[in-house]
Amino acid sequence: MNSGSIKQLKKPLAIRLGEQTVLAKSLVMAEHPFDRRDFLKVLGWGGAAVALSGCGNGSVEDGKETVVSYVETNDYMIPSISVYFNSTCTQCDAGCSITGRIREGRVLKLEGNPDSTINRGKTCGLGQAGVQHHYNPDRVREPLLRTGDSGEAITWEKAYALIAEKMKDVSGEEIAFLSGGVSGHLKVLLGNYLDSFRSKNHFVYEAIAPAVMRAANKKSYGVEMPRFNISKAKVVLSFGADFLGAWVSPVHFSQQYAQFRKGDEDGQRGVLVQIESKMTLTGANADRWLVVRPGTEGILALGIINALGAAGLRLSGDVAGAVKGYDKARVSKDTGVSAEQIDKIVALLKARTPSLVLAGSAAEGYAHGSQNAAAINLLNQVLGNVGKTVEAAEVVPFPQMAPTTGNTAALKKLNDGLAAGKYKVLFSYAANPVFTAPGAMKFKDNLAKAGFKVVFAHYLDETALQADLVLPLDSALEDWGTQVPEYLATCAQINIQQPLMEKLHANTDGKGTRGMGDILLTLLKQRRAEEYKGFADYYAYLRGALLKNKVALGGHKVDDDTFWNETLSKGIIKLEGHVSALSSRSGTAGLSLPSPAAIDAQYPLQLIPSVNASLRDGRHTNQPWLQESPDPLTTIVWDSWVEIHPRKAAELGIEEGDIVEVTGKNGSVKVQAYLFPGIHPDAISIPLGRGHEALGRYAKGYGVNPFQILDAVFDKETGELALHETRVKVSKTGSRVIVVKDEGPVGGRQMGKKIAARLPSDKVKLSEEI
Amino acid sequence: MSVTSLLENYSEFRHFHPVDDVPHNPYKWAMSIDLDACSGCNACSVACYAENNLPVVGREGFAHGQAMHWMRIERYWDEDGREFPDQGAQFLPMMCQQCEAAPCETVCPVGATNHTPDGINSQIYNRCIGSRYCSANCPYKVRYFNWYDYPTTDNVWPAEMNQQLNPDVTVRGKGVMEKCTFCIQRVTVAKNNAKNEGRLIHDGDVQTACQQACPTSAISFGNLVDPESKVYKQWKAQQVELDKDAQIKDKEEGGSELRGYRIFEELRPYPSVMYLERVRESAV
Ligand code: SF4
Ligand code: SF4
Ligand code: SF4
Repeated sequence: MNSGSIKQLKKPLAIRLGEQTVLAKSLVMAEHPFDRRDFLKVLGWGGAAVALSGCGNGSVEDGKETVVSYVETNDYMIPSISVYFNSTCTQCDAGCSITGRIREGRVLKLEGNPDSTINRGKTCGLGQAGVQHHYNPDRVREPLLRTGDSGEAITWEKAYALIAEKMKDVSGEEIAFLSGGVSGHLKVLLGNYLDSFRSKNHFVYEAIAPAVMRAANKKSYGVEMPRFNISKAKVVLSFGADFLGAWVSPVHFSQQYAQFRKGDEDGQRGVLVQIESKMTLTGANADRWLVVRPGTEGILALGIINALGAAGLRLSGDVAGAVKGYDKARVSKDTGVSAEQIDKIVALLKARTPSLVLAGSAAEGYAHGSQNAAAINLLNQVLGNVGKTVEAAEVVPFPQMAPTTGNTAALKKLNDGLAAGKYKVLFSYAANPVFTAPGAMKFKDNLAKAGFKVVFAHYLDETALQADLVLPLDSALEDWGTQVPEYLATCAQINIQQPLMEKLHANTDGKGTRGMGDILLTLLKQRRAEEYKGFADYYAYLRGALLKNKVALGGHKVDDDTFWNETLSKGIIKLEGHVSALSSRSGTAGLSLPSPAAIDAQYPLQLIPSVNASLRDGRHTNQPWLQESPDPLTTIVWDSWVEIHPRKAAELGIEEGDIVEVTGKNGSVKVQAYLFPGIHPDAISIPLGRGHEALGRYAKGYGVNPFQILDAVFDKETGELALHETRVKVSKTGSRVIVVKDEGPVGGRQMGKKIAARLPSDKVKLSEEI
Repeated sequence: MSVTSLLENYSEFRHFHPVDDVPHNPYKWAMSIDLDACSGCNACSVACYAENNLPVVGREGFAHGQAMHWMRIERYWDEDGREFPDQGAQFLPMMCQQCEAAPCETVCPVGATNHTPDGINSQIYNRCIGSRYCSANCPYKVRYFNWYDYPTTDNVWPAEMNQQLNPDVTVRGKGVMEKCTFCIQRVTVAKNNAKNEGRLIHDGDVQTACQQACPTSAISFGNLVDPESKVYKQWKAQQVELDKDAQIKDKEEGGSELRGYRIFEELRPYPSVMYLERVRESAV
């Protein structure tokens, strides 16, 4: 390695920061002629219920010695000695706090921040790869303007002028702003920008969000995202919730899982039963993995309630009524789960309490997903888990900053609007709908009907390629921000995101990358110059905003600079949030589950698009560590595959490595076959996240994109895309490949050796272990 | 000494590391990995790429068996012929076991791989001639060879990506062997820090990259000759002894109720990694 090629930073971080500190200090309230309420709204504290004291905020001295604030002088920059800055991982929305290791001005490695109650010093593989998002060679480095078929690089000044011009005569209805889930001050600015046009068209879209579960939880418990106490449960019954993989807050749940297994409180090891049609990472860790006919999870839940009643659990009248028809014989026939197995589950649930029931892909996947989720939540209620293992979570007391979570219903609405030619200007941020929208939506065609398309992008992804104007963003490790996680572990908290190093693609010649906050601030100044003129940049805005509410954020005893330095050095502001008790209405009203669908003769198989913990919806596929990180279950790398149960494969004459064509009503993909025992024989599964036609060198051309062949079937209650409702057929193409995977030629066999060993639980005494 | 006597009483003649009575004073680095906690998530493996400058070899390279993952997660299925894996899968994080009597060391023609006083199997890159005998002789298949000069190979560390390289870890060139080092660069820093303070490393002063990332805290790492360390306590509680090729507890009738075991112990490499067996509920 030619170390001379490593770019030395011309200017250490702190000098630049020194400048900004000066800027921030010049922020004086009296300069702002508008009233206090407006001001609070500008800063994101609008609607705050109460001013609260902090929870767990000590002084900076309590922290680690090595964690230094970003605004310290550059004395600490000693060659060969690492310094550590705290920030927040943005690789997914879980909101884990991270500590970046920085040497000679370069960020080298991300570790978990031990002070976060979400991740307690840990990270997942996706989080580890965050540095590859920052250093990615395929990042967009300058604003790009399309003229006809070609693009040209332009300056930011020109880009802003262009937006101002395009926005001049549009009404609020003619604007659409598409984004991924947002929270914190970015959400505030985004909201205020749309407000300035009186536009309500903020479409928050996440391709694989637990939106149906949120809606079902709201109904059953009164909140969308309660706290799930896995570590307190003695039995976890999970209907496809991949909480060790990609579900909600995987690092947090993984720690809870470890405690659950050790039986931290009484030495009794927790038992995990996973019910699903395609084995997830969590399923692979279950004591009992039960394969269920796709879509019949709700029926099984009601069947278990019925059997619990029969085994002596007292059911209320309406519950007993709701589950009346679900006797073991019928449930077993519908779901494929044997009566004997149902008895075992019932015995387990009765013997060990409290338990916890989770609704994952069973809820997200089907046209009756809401009904499935309601049935599964009902099981929690019947078992008396609400208030024990399902608890109310704290809520951050600043509603303007609370996370706006996304769903696909929003995309559908946007898509309909686009199809009708309603939008003159469209913005897109942190979403790649051209890649992730189901093929049946024809999103790309509809997008072309928008007048002027502005895409904020890290890479030239499929959506950016359709844009008229592409605005290059700073990486998450170069940018400022605040973030409020949707799933809060213990305390309510606001996460701080701060640059871990200088920008890689600095603003030379008026080009280079910019932070999303800075861009929004500039756009807001075009609209409301008076209100925002006091903020030189997003940094000044954030600092001003946090200092304004210092007391409520736990800084009542310290001066502004100390508070700000402490905040940056900790990377987390812990708050005393509200907790409102969960309602425990048993949701039997309107509960009706369809019988299992008959097998379609033309398209006999159900397609399960699976979510891999590293690749998720495909936005990070250009990070090569993730491409080369084997899928835990199949050990395949750098490619897509279709999982087929060996019995089905034998029926169809398919062997591993056969290239098969998977055809549905909305198209087909050709992909290598992998024989996988952990799947229902009437289902096949293709992972999401690969199959890019753009994005970058590590993503483009690897694998296939199952989003493209999804049928547009929606959950009847919430309007969410039913991901598992696509029916397909599989045919051999005649060509074959050798599957590139990590497992050896003997597959997953130990050949009689004691390699990965196992003991039954009645033989071990975990409580006596260290 | 006849050959027969040598073969029959091999353990008496066998060369141990170290040779004197005091095994590895003051440090003997070791691990324990709890397979009941490990979820197979791969975070440790990615963390290892980030820490140790591991090259990404791409689809072709991977297909040719050139992957460089010092830490890999093996996945096993039950072999009882059931139609569905209804007890899940088994995951096993596998990396160099830092054998006390390392089979890889004895076959190296130039002594490029050898034992450190801390009980780590080290690899001296600029002494390695690339014979690959060590890899052939490693029972765990955890040695990785640089078939190409990755630093100059397209798209391994293209511009900007190279800025992430850890300056504490050598970037290896073509023709040398490499493998897990127990994050020796971290151990070295901790040792120097402790030395500056006139003390020994305390348990917890140093974490390996995989251990630090692991979301389930399945991996413990520490000094096996420090009675205060977690690994010492775990090994002791599990009655796993470093210098045995079969543990006394395993001779109990019906097998031991303790979960600790070492892989391929009977081959006498005396590995420094103890695994704790995965547990599966008997009631379901
Ligand atoms: S779960 Fe992983 S990707 Fe998501 S925030 Fe945490 S470390 Fe980052
Ligand atoms: S595991 Fe393999 S490479 Fe490591 S010390 Fe043992 S023989 Fe050598
Ligand atoms: S990070 Fe931990 S849980 Fe994940 S595979 Fe590695 S050892 Fe197992």
